[in-house]
Amino acid sequence: MIYPEPKFLPGGDRYILIEFGNEMNLELNFMGQGLAAAIKEEAIDGLIESAPCFASTLIHYDPDVIGFDELVPLLSQLIKDLGPSEDLVLDSRIFYFPTVYLDPWSNECVEDYIEKINPDKQKDPELVTELNGLESPEHFARVHSATEYWVASLGFWPGLPFMMPLDPRCAMTAPKYNPPRTWTPKGTVGMGGGSTAIYPDHLAGGYQIFGRIPVPIWDTQKRFPQFEDSICLFKPGDRVKFVPCTIEEFEHIERQVKDGTYVYNLVEYQKFSVKSYKAWTQSIDKNIRF
Amino acid sequence: MIEVIKKGLESSIQDYPGRLGFCDQGFPCSGPMDNWSFRLANILVGNQASDAGLECQYLGPTLKFHYDTVIAITGADMQAKLDDEAIPMWCNIQVKQGQTLSLNFAKGVGARTYLAIAGGFATEPWLGSRSTFNKAGVGGMEGHAIQDKQMLPVNAPSDKQTQLGQKQRSVKRDARPVFSSNKEWEIEVVRGPNDDWIDDAGHERFLAASWKLSAKSDRTGFRLDGPDWTFTPKAFDKALEHGTEPSNIIDQGYPLGAINLAGQTPIILMNDGPSMGGFINPYTVPTVGFWKLGQAKPGDTLHFKQVSVQEAQSLRKHINTLCSEDSIL
Repeated sequence: MIYPEPKFLPGGDRYILIEFGNEMNLELNFMGQGLAAAIKEEAIDGLIESAPCFASTLIHYDPDVIGFDELVPLLSQLIKDLGPSEDLVLDSRIFYFPTVYLDPWSNECVEDYIEKINPDKQKDPELVTELNGLESPEHFARVHSATEYWVASLGFWPGLPFMMPLDPRCAMTAPKYNPPRTWTPKGTVGMGGGSTAIYPDHLAGGYQIFGRIPVPIWDTQKRFPQFEDSICLFKPGDRVKFVPCTIEEFEHIERQVKDGTYVYNLVEYQKFSVKSYKAWTQSIDKNIRF
Repeated sequence: MIEVIKKGLESSIQDYPGRLGFCDQGFPCSGPMDNWSFRLANILVGNQASDAGLECQYLGPTLKFHYDTVIAITGADMQAKLDDEAIPMWCNIQVKQGQTLSLNFAKGVGARTYLAIAGGFATEPWLGSRSTFNKAGVGGMEGHAIQDKQMLPVNAPSDKQTQLGQKQRSVKRDARPVFSSNKEWEIEVVRGPNDDWIDDAGHERFLAASWKLSAKSDRTGFRLDGPDWTFTPKAFDKALEHGTEPSNIIDQGYPLGAINLAGQTPIILMNDGPSMGGFINPYTVPTVGFWKLGQAKPGDTLHFKQVSVQEAQSLRKHINTLCSEDSIL
């Protein structure tokens, strides 16, 4: 649900987490992003940075300048003044990524975890298949790759996108690892809760994993023009489409990335209309699976 | 320039408060873990408290100075020697061209030693900060902790700093951070942001228990060994979008110092830790307790003491007051 009033939750002496609701939808993400944008615009003394995510915004502030008790009413007013998201029409780039689903690399990582950390762990593709009532891991891959994903925020690691499926017919969920993995191959695609992410590098992680892309999504060396303004490829409001491919195709693109000839497959002419999107989601049968 | 003869164990250039303004792209703050000791070292040599210095962990480096300058060493005791002579901590030290500073293992209680040099390190700032995010290859010297044979770029001390260096300056005893004397630390915590996911028994257990700092701890996070957690119904009756484990929540921003519960293992998120993720944070360590974590060693015992946000904010002001010229004798 979207809460009637947002919750202001303290995080020590320097942070406030503002929770707008307890589910994943575009409207909540717009509230989080909208508040972060309003804070930048207002330039309130003592506000250092903010990190919007699916249904919340984390605020980092300087308590030597402004205390918790003074900050809450200011933020509360900013939230009241946020315009409705209904009429938003946003520039939204879409990235196409060749993706090997049910790939050998994430499988090796899962086997390593089962061997060393948790022998009872069911393999990730089988677990998500079963939990979402699908026929087979191949069916899971078909459903997962059938939608565009909305980049709701970046976090956890520089450039890591937290994404939600835009097509409700592809909405699935997954538990997070207990305990977390100590490593994940670079470029791995995974799901935790209702969120999908791509691991930008060889990292620890907690999502169920089942695919891999050969394309860098962050680059401290800035080898490709997409990284000119930022070492992180994405910004919130981008969309991602995973295009299933073979291992041979993956390796071909991996070579292109290595020698610097890879050309990012993205289009930039589209706009995302919240109104049209909502009207469309209401017109379809959400119970259908591809 | 300063030449690295021996790098020590992950010694890195940091500035205070670190890399701010990029958490929405996933960058942690980085910066010194015990920023109380760090700031005092800078003040001793006449720097801004924020200037770039060196954080040395567990085993310090050996460094050769190729110019005359003034340094100060604070934090854990690494038995510092200049050439072969032991030198005191918490005061300024003049260094002549050609002299070698060697730091050894952190002795007794305390894990991190801070070295400030007059003028500060002059590495290339990255997104507004010189702080090193070692795991990501960002900031510091070529993105990482210092390496053998590197020449660390420095700013020459100003005339004022050189003059200041001729006077004996030390930090007043009562302005220095007080380390544990018995490897037990009392760490302040504030409830939240996700405290209502833990039941009363779980909160009582957390605050009463002795938590052992695990060896699997570094600048990204400190793992704690201790009792299991118990949850409120909220942790079970929730939308599947959170994930099904009780500690799973829809991904959210993580405060620095948050006590993050992945399954049953609490991990305190440290300076190079994740900025976001899908596990709950029932407590957060505020400034007043955070510096102590930087000085706790694996095997040390942590006890947590709950304070209110308002108390934590007032205790922070006290530390800030102590990190100033008024604390210098």
